[in-house]
Amino acid sequence: MVSQRNILRTMAQIHAIARTTAREAIQEPVAFLIMLTAVVTTVMIPLFQFNRFSEEGRLARDGGLSSMLIFGLVLAAGTAGRTVAGEIESGTAAAMIGKPVARVTFVVAKALGIFKVISIFWCGQLAAILIAERISAHFVTTNNFAGYVTDRVTLSFSAGALLVTLLLSTVAHFIRRKGFGAVAFPGIALSQVAVVLISGFYSRLGQPYYVFAQTACNCGDAAHHAAGDIIYNPELNLRVIPAAILILFVLAVIVALATALATRLQSGAAMALCALALIFGLAGDALAVNASLFSLRGVLAGVLPDIQHFWMCDALARGGKISNAYLLEAGFYALTCCVLFLRVGCMAFENRDLG
Amino acid sequence: MDTEVIIETKILKKTFKDFWRRPTVEAVKGLNLTVKRGEVFGLLGPNGSGKSTTIKMLLGLLHPTSGEIRMFGSVPSSTSIKERIGYLPEVSCLHRFLTPLETLMYYASLFGLPRVEAARRSHELVAMVGLSQAANRPIGGFSKGMARRVGLAQALINAPELLILDEPTSGLDPIGCREVKDMVRMLAGNGVSVLMTSHLLADVEDICDRVAVLAHGELRAEGRIAELLRQPEAVRYLVAGLSEEQSAALRQSIESQVGHPVQQDCPAMSLEAFFLQVIARDGERQKFEMAPFLCNKNFTIDSERKRHNVDV
Repeated sequence: MVSQRNILRTMAQIHAIARTTAREAIQEPVAFLIMLTAVVTTVMIPLFQFNRFSEEGRLARDGGLSSMLIFGLVLAAGTAGRTVAGEIESGTAAAMIGKPVARVTFVVAKALGIFKVISIFWCGQLAAILIAERISAHFVTTNNFAGYVTDRVTLSFSAGALLVTLLLSTVAHFIRRKGFGAVAFPGIALSQVAVVLISGFYSRLGQPYYVFAQTACNCGDAAHHAAGDIIYNPELNLRVIPAAILILFVLAVIVALATALATRLQSGAAMALCALALIFGLAGDALAVNASLFSLRGVLAGVLPDIQHFWMCDALARGGKISNAYLLEAGFYALTCCVLFLRVGCMAFENRDLG
Repeated sequence: MDTEVIIETKILKKTFKDFWRRPTVEAVKGLNLTVKRGEVFGLLGPNGSGKSTTIKMLLGLLHPTSGEIRMFGSVPSSTSIKERIGYLPEVSCLHRFLTPLETLMYYASLFGLPRVEAARRSHELVAMVGLSQAANRPIGGFSKGMARRVGLAQALINAPELLILDEPTSGLDPIGCREVKDMVRMLAGNGVSVLMTSHLLADVEDICDRVAVLAHGELRAEGRIAELLRQPEAVRYLVAGLSEEQSAALRQSIESQVGHPVQQDCPAMSLEAFFLQVIARDGERQKFEMAPFLCNKNFTIDSERKRHNVDV
């Protein structure tokens, strides 16, 4: 009974610390700037697409997923640096450990708080990728038109949604005295998700889908489309979602690694090591080839997570579909890496003097 | 005062080491301390004497190189004993985007207080430290003194049995200092033990029952303030309403008795007492009121302290 109470207490502490960590992190101007830059860059990629070679949307998709990974890494490592290394330096961590909070609880809660920030970023960036791929030039044929079309309506909606979000954040900051980042950071993600949902109501040419104003649908099912119903047809490449989920797994691993490193290192050093882990992780397959277990290459390949398993851009380009089984397997692999990194982080923090 | 020992250290040592594990500074050298329930204990010493290091070892933030620490009879790393401790760090390191109320609710949640109780205590503490007007403003925009008040409030959110205050009056104005001192005495009267460090010797003299003086990590002196400061070779008489003639006659009489000149002066109040008297004249200083949840019984300020308090 007592242990159950302790578990509940620890869960409540983790929830409180993670929530506060996320709240603090999203209010940092740098978090907002990373989110804005990543989303704007991704949505604008189709405008710089000059050669298609029948691979419409690939540049937008690959660029968007790369942005998700790189900006996500910067956000994860930077947030870990500020909220873990920074709080240890400033003494905030000491004040917290001076309360009945175990050091393990502190590390795990910090990682979860940072992951919450990354998840919001991921949502916004995934929406931006779906928008970018929809915007990018596609060959469209209708009764009276055939040719490449860039979806400028969705582009306008996306840009407009961003501007409205920034305006609302400014108003909330000025009138309600809310933190600008606290509104803008999730606001950007939410606005782009809204654009994705709205884009299903019109075609790439910007025409609303046919409204069955006069007659019922002739698809044979009387209950299917009644008169007045609106067809919802999101022309989105939903195969991107599993690929983005795999990148979310990588970002979770980076969050765990960055948190573990930040218990001992300064923010900059933690970020540099995370970047190295990403680079060597992406080269994991090459490192492992013909490498003996005790060579440097072998050790690196063994210790670092193989990020190639999570990078599916080429498979998407070849028309491949990521299966649920693969997602589960990759999720388990990422979870194992997270647990291992956090365990090391907890051990490193357990013995650290908080001066 | 109770005889229950709340804090006990035996031959406590702390040596800081560099990256290569080479010793750099021996911050605490074999410290033996005992703090009892309801006692206000002061740690004095110059910068680098080991006061903050000792406090951090007591809280389990620093790991002792050797020696033993018992807090409530347990080791300091135990989280269960920390439920009974309130801690105000030397620097008020708070989350800058949170408001005082949010900060207190956050710390209350770390103690597992129910939400309603946490909200009640938070409001009472915000009122107690005089921040009701700024309760919903982010702490990032606060002055050092205001942040210190929030820090003090968070140290009390769990109604602690032991309050550890590292430089509690640092950054506070004289009124704030007086309030902190009143609060410490009231808490001690209610059975709360207080361990505090301060550079301001007058503050320590005002509120501490016992002090330990540290220098270069070593305990140089320890005992009750009255005993440490007593000068047995000198005697002072305080007589009110003497005329100049009576005073001169008395002086002559004493000099003839002892056979050497006698020093004569008028008692002076402290600068702090004078300042608070001036402020009170303008009606600016309001009476300090303890948060109701901390008041389990009526607090009294013992008569020995009253001479320092201009309100009495």
